[in-house]
Amino acid sequence: MNVKIEKAEEYAFVGVEGRVDTTNANELENSMLQVISDGYTKIILDCSGLDYISSSGLRVFLIVQKKITAAKGQFRLCGLQPGIVEIFDISGFTSIFSIFPNKEAAMKP
Amino acid sequence: MNRDTFSTVLRVENRLDELTRIASFLNDLGAEWTLNERLVNSLNLVLEEAISNIILYGYKDGEGHTIEIYFRKSENEILISIKDDGMAYNPTLRADPDVSLSVEDRPVGGLGVFLMKKLMDGVEYQWEGGRNILNLRKKID
Repeated sequence: MNVKIEKAEEYAFVGVEGRVDTTNANELENSMLQVISDGYTKIILDCSGLDYISSSGLRVFLIVQKKITAAKGQFRLCGLQPGIVEIFDISGFTSIFSIFPNKEAAMKP
Repeated sequence: MNRDTFSTVLRVENRLDELTRIASFLNDLGAEWTLNERLVNSLNLVLEEAISNIILYGYKDGEGHTIEIYFRKSENEILISIKDDGMAYNPTLRADPDVSLSVEDRPVGGLGVFLMKKLMDGVEYQWEGGRNILNLRKKID
């Protein structure tokens, strides 16, 4: 897994690539929670390079969504690959996340 | 890996870093058995959920244990059998989460076994000879 963080004035952009699984989900969690504690309540998570996610990774997505929702912020996901969309559909995540086709669409207000 | 019968076995220890070896084994198996990437990822996910549960909750003795994973491919399905000598645990009895809840009401966790059931065409559990046996079936075209 590779996590890239880019902080703009209003939004933080996070790109996650590779596999998020039981062995590394805590690294993604720490990175995301750090972005939130840096004061960002608008986060765009680019998943176009995300090839694989297990329930450990889904747990992190949900934790972040709960925190951002509680802070009345925006947590937007973009670029989900079809295999990831399938996992999101099964988990009921498609309806509790804001999902955009790409980063440009996610950046529109 | 036995190339003739389309069956093989992987033995892993009860350590989480073995999940990485399972992923790489599945990639090789997918190439050898010409399984598409989506199917390989589904099988990987299901194995990760099952095996991580065994590793994290199945043993209380702090000792090393071997978990056996048998793979068999027939014309129209893949059968995976996981055998472990941990505490008896039947994951198929676990209640499904309510996936219609709002983000505020959704509990964190509890998706692993549910994903396993949804991604496979059959999940059956047996307790035999002091071992848990979990049989996972997936239809293939």
